[in-house]
Amino acid sequence: MHGYVRTGNSQPAWLFPFVVITVLILSVLPLARLAMVGIAAFANGGVIDVLSAPSLWSATYYTIVTSVLGTMISLVIGCLFAFLLTLTDIRGKGPLSFFFVLPMMIPPQVTALAWVQMSGPSSPLLKALAIAPPLGSPQPLYSVGGIALLYGVQHAPLVYLALRAGLMTLPRDGVEAARLSGASSFRVFRDIILPLSLPGIIAGAAISFVSCTGNFGIPAILGIPASIFTLPTLIFTKFSAFTSRTFGDVAVLSAIIAMISVAGLMIQDRALRGRDYRVIGLSGASAAFELGAWRFLFTPVLWAILFFMLAAPFFALVAGALVPAYGVPLNFKTMSLHAFEEILFRQAVTRTAFVNSISLAGATAACLLVVTVLAAYMLTRRKDAASRIIASLIEIPYSLPGIVMAVAFILVFAAPIPLLHVSLYGTIWIILIAYFSSFFAVSLKPVVSAFHQLDPALEEAARLSGAGFFRRLFDIIVPLIAPAAGASVILVFLIACNELTISALLWSAGTQTLGVAIYNLDDSGSSDFASALSVLVVLMVVVMMLLLELLAKRLPKGVVPWRN
Amino acid sequence: MKTIVSAALVAASLFAIPASAANLVLYISQPNEDAQATVDGFMAANPDIKVDWVRDGTPKIIAKLQAEIQAGNPVADILLIADMVTLERLKEDGKLLAYKSPEAAQYDAALYDADGYYYSTKLITTGIMYNTSAGMKPTSWKDLTKPEAKGLVTMPSPLASGAALIHAQTLAAVPGLGWDFYKSLAENGAIAAGGNGAVLKSVASGEKAYGMVVDYLPIREKAKGAPVEFVFPSEGVSAVTEPVGILASSKNAEAAKKFVDYVLSEKGQEGFLKLGYIPARNGMKVPEGFPARDTIKVLPINAADALKNSDQDLKTFSGIYGSN
Repeated sequence: MHGYVRTGNSQPAWLFPFVVITVLILSVLPLARLAMVGIAAFANGGVIDVLSAPSLWSATYYTIVTSVLGTMISLVIGCLFAFLLTLTDIRGKGPLSFFFVLPMMIPPQVTALAWVQMSGPSSPLLKALAIAPPLGSPQPLYSVGGIALLYGVQHAPLVYLALRAGLMTLPRDGVEAARLSGASSFRVFRDIILPLSLPGIIAGAAISFVSCTGNFGIPAILGIPASIFTLPTLIFTKFSAFTSRTFGDVAVLSAIIAMISVAGLMIQDRALRGRDYRVIGLSGASAAFELGAWRFLFTPVLWAILFFMLAAPFFALVAGALVPAYGVPLNFKTMSLHAFEEILFRQAVTRTAFVNSISLAGATAACLLVVTVLAAYMLTRRKDAASRIIASLIEIPYSLPGIVMAVAFILVFAAPIPLLHVSLYGTIWIILIAYFSSFFAVSLKPVVSAFHQLDPALEEAARLSGAGFFRRLFDIIVPLIAPAAGASVILVFLIACNELTISALLWSAGTQTLGVAIYNLDDSGSSDFASALSVLVVLMVVVMMLLLELLAKRLPKGVVPWRN
Repeated sequence: MKTIVSAALVAASLFAIPASAANLVLYISQPNEDAQATVDGFMAANPDIKVDWVRDGTPKIIAKLQAEIQAGNPVADILLIADMVTLERLKEDGKLLAYKSPEAAQYDAALYDADGYYYSTKLITTGIMYNTSAGMKPTSWKDLTKPEAKGLVTMPSPLASGAALIHAQTLAAVPGLGWDFYKSLAENGAIAAGGNGAVLKSVASGEKAYGMVVDYLPIREKAKGAPVEFVFPSEGVSAVTEPVGILASSKNAEAAKKFVDYVLSEKGQEGFLKLGYIPARNGMKVPEGFPARDTIKVLPINAADALKNSDQDLKTFSGIYGSN
């Protein structure tokens, strides 16, 4: 590091190399390996075979089409909620916001399963209500439209959160000035609020698009029965017809997914370039609009959307878990708790999956926190090119779809590690490392923003009194960033606990995660067990979110995503 | 630095991650409920052995195994999967361990490998299931190509189910059926996706009216009250025998041999009978709802040909059904 001048903050000499090595292992190594295998596959002429396969192009087409449509749907729903809940005086904001963010925290295959149980001739719910479609009607969700619709539902909260963050900082004086000049609410919205909220909308669209391209749970459950393959499900099926060429093939497929995601992010960049959104004045446009009589239209609309997004699928899931056999209409006579019994008391996989998911998520959240605090300290204290590069290297694995990272880690750890001669493939450790890599950025964000708000004087004073690095860390820094750290732990835990895309490729005997267990149960034709396990998972997520809600009063503003 | 490492280790040890694969690891293609019941039965008979198991369709589980072998870390000790053809291939690749089980004396010689590499555990036939509200009651394979069944037929994909591949290879060799039969099914709007579980779901729930499926699923669901029927078509049915084999790489060969003995023993076979499978062992009864064993007409399959042609047959099938 030539030309690096130590500033007033002395860092221990090991800190920078430690962070660099961590980032090398978690980001650079797997992606470099993926690129190498991909290039090798190209070089060996295998590329002609891969690129000339019609399945590849149809999967690429379906990936783009479902993602674009899904993003549009998530934009419509997400923007509606964001504008109404942030800018108007609609009642019940707290519960509306809480429930609206819930789908994001629920594993996508659970969402898909619930919707399948809710519609089509097989729906125990519709059968119980005697409005099920006749024999031979196709399940309408097994289609491009079905996949896109669920993408929209699953990712609308992402748009909502991104846009809300922008709306919170809208200048109030602009709105008030327009008001005083006699502009109508519609004019104010169209000419002031909408242009200023564009960055939030575009950022939300980009996040949603990237999440759609990498989603595995939804197209696996809705697409495969109709032979609609997206790139992630195609990669998954490639692994179920394993040949010597499989690794090369999936490297190429992953590269295509990565390119689509990066293209999405570049479009976002272009859309925002050359515009300046800096504004002056008071921010916080809370309740800029009074709904008045419109309330009677909007309140029921929002609750109705939530009903279809959450309540109806959840009841369908419960109904699906209670039917004694497929195709039996559900009523009090036929209702059976057999599926819950089997899942809770007989299936070893349930306990394994809960233990694995919870310990993986816990270990990921806790270990990442240690690394994150050190990395955030370094990134905020030294402001040079190296730290900027490191920050973006941490960001990359999170912005790439999980399946790409999973493939990269398989390639890295498929062969035994040199010197140690152990192979991580097929063990729980490979899942853990992949989680570290994928969720590093999630863990880092709240902690870095807490560091930015720290007054350096405190640490300076301690240093002048001769306190060493760890002394300062534990006595001064950690207590001050504790709330943000807590939020980071909980967010990583929630996301990791419900993850399927990475573990779908990396699981093995005894290392099934909840996501894998649900998918496999459904795949073996036991959708009643899959539904029962899903019900338990949903309840677990709701309990965790309620805990966060209870803690919210003690956390800094903006840490719990769905609160004002 | 040391402090950091130890802090990280302490944090990691707080969430003691369960090490995978304590004792025996079983790769199995039966549905979860049956797999668990089989393992529970074995563990009750051998309390000192713990079994971890993984369920997936035969092709997928073999793919998993192949990937692990290529990575130099095969996790499984025992395979209990759909068909002898797959195990024959593994035997030829030198991946299996020979074990002469004393239980073999009670089995028809055609049902196990003479060198002891694998042993059949049950007889699973593939026939036709239909939803009771369907207009036509099929009695032969040909009935599925009739106009009444247009767009209402589903079948498991050989890419996801081992039984489905054997089934396709068996019917393809029957004069009067052959691949042409599969082509006319496809022209009649039949689809092939997922495993047998998916077929059961789709027919029981009425998304489709007719399905090719393994016998025990619909027979069992019918007993639970599902609106389905199962028929053994007049041309005959294909059969797989769900053999068990021990991997040569197994570090727990002794425990694995006990598992093989258990599933072949009268006790283990009775367990399968209770679950609704036709046991492979001589002198056993058939499950409730099945016709007598000697009245079921099983179509022959040449295992050596099936093994040789399976890649080509998969391609042919995928070509007709447009799956990849």
